[in-house]
Amino acid sequence: MAGKFFFIDTTRCTACRGCQIACKQYKKHSVSKTKQYGTYQNPIDLDANTFRLVRFSEHPSKVNSMVWYFFSEACRHCLKPGCQKKVEQIKKDAIIINDFGAVLYTDKMQGLEKSSKAIKQACPWSIPNWSKKEKQMVKCNMCYDRVEAGLLPACAKACPTGAINFGDEAEMKKLANECLAAAKKKFGGKGEILDSEDVRVLYLIIDEQAKYRPVA
Amino acid sequence: MALTRREFLKWSGTAGAAAAALCLGFDLKPVKSYAAELKILKAKETTTICPYCGVGCGLIVHTKKSGKLLNAEGDPDHPINEGALCAKGAALYQMTVNKNRIKTPLYRAPESDEWEEIGWDEAFEKIAEKVKETRDATFTEKNAKGQVVNRTTGIAHVGSAALDNEECWVLQGIMRALGLVYIEHQARI
Repeated sequence: MAGKFFFIDTTRCTACRGCQIACKQYKKHSVSKTKQYGTYQNPIDLDANTFRLVRFSEHPSKVNSMVWYFFSEACRHCLKPGCQKKVEQIKKDAIIINDFGAVLYTDKMQGLEKSSKAIKQACPWSIPNWSKKEKQMVKCNMCYDRVEAGLLPACAKACPTGAINFGDEAEMKKLANECLAAAKKKFGGKGEILDSEDVRVLYLIIDEQAKYRPVA
Repeated sequence: MALTRREFLKWSGTAGAAAAALCLGFDLKPVKSYAAELKILKAKETTTICPYCGVGCGLIVHTKKSGKLLNAEGDPDHPINEGALCAKGAALYQMTVNKNRIKTPLYRAPESDEWEEIGWDEAFEKIAEKVKETRDATFTEKNAKGQVVNRTTGIAHVGSAALDNEECWVLQGIMRALGLVYIEHQARI
């Protein structure tokens, strides 16, 4: 199977959080205890029950009074994962990359609680989290069971606006370039595809990276 | 021996990947098989309509043979949502599987700050009693201009968004027959 890619067009996202809940629903994750942080974003960060999170960021703007950016975040499924490199030092073959490119944490990851912080830090976006229930690090697995059966990942399937797209590499890169051109036209020449050479999740953003995500 | 790459990977996983790779001259290093069975593979599929708002997105509900609910996701063949769902629709599973769901009618007595569980019969009787009482007290046959109106403004009805079209039709009939004019639905608010 050819390598699979996500393409996430943040300009299309309305932050309905369909992806976030679809992920939770399919994986049967329970709720996370949370509180009001003064933003619609909830929970405040990815955790053992939340593999996909829509981040909400507000910024003052000269054109309108403010801009509101939405960023549906999950594991990027790096081509050369930092987490894998870190875990290889501790335990061989605990993290594998499957035939369509999903970075998967296997059962061998169990019992690495002492290294959980180091593994989290090895990820440029601090995606993996320690799950007390499963006693291992957990994160998005690209719904590899669904993809193998020819279905879309739960998040990509649920997305009502077409912000989250999933498919073969060539198809997604073509779509990304088309959407980038359209976004540049619409938003005054701004726009870029994030880390397109390193990860399997291509994000289209139209402002500085840091404005979409606290630490990017 | 004709094998697809996938079958080969699955087979070689049990037979010993290294040996197999050596015999057949494959390089398996960058690609590893880590397969899991799709949990909705043999499930029964039933289509339904999301009850939460007026859009009416279609869903496929996957159930086990025992009737246990496994999963609910957008129906790609449905003309309205084409497989997509919002956060509420995506959480439809919880309409059935949720320990916080209220299963019996609750009653809060006047002046009380506590809800107590009561039976359905008791609840229906109480509602009927109050409806009769209020309707009798507030029913107006003619308005200030002397026109026949036959209505009661003492009762309002709020329909649940979990009602389907047919249930709404029956409710509308009952409420109009009682003379209600304040008839509202949650999905419109």
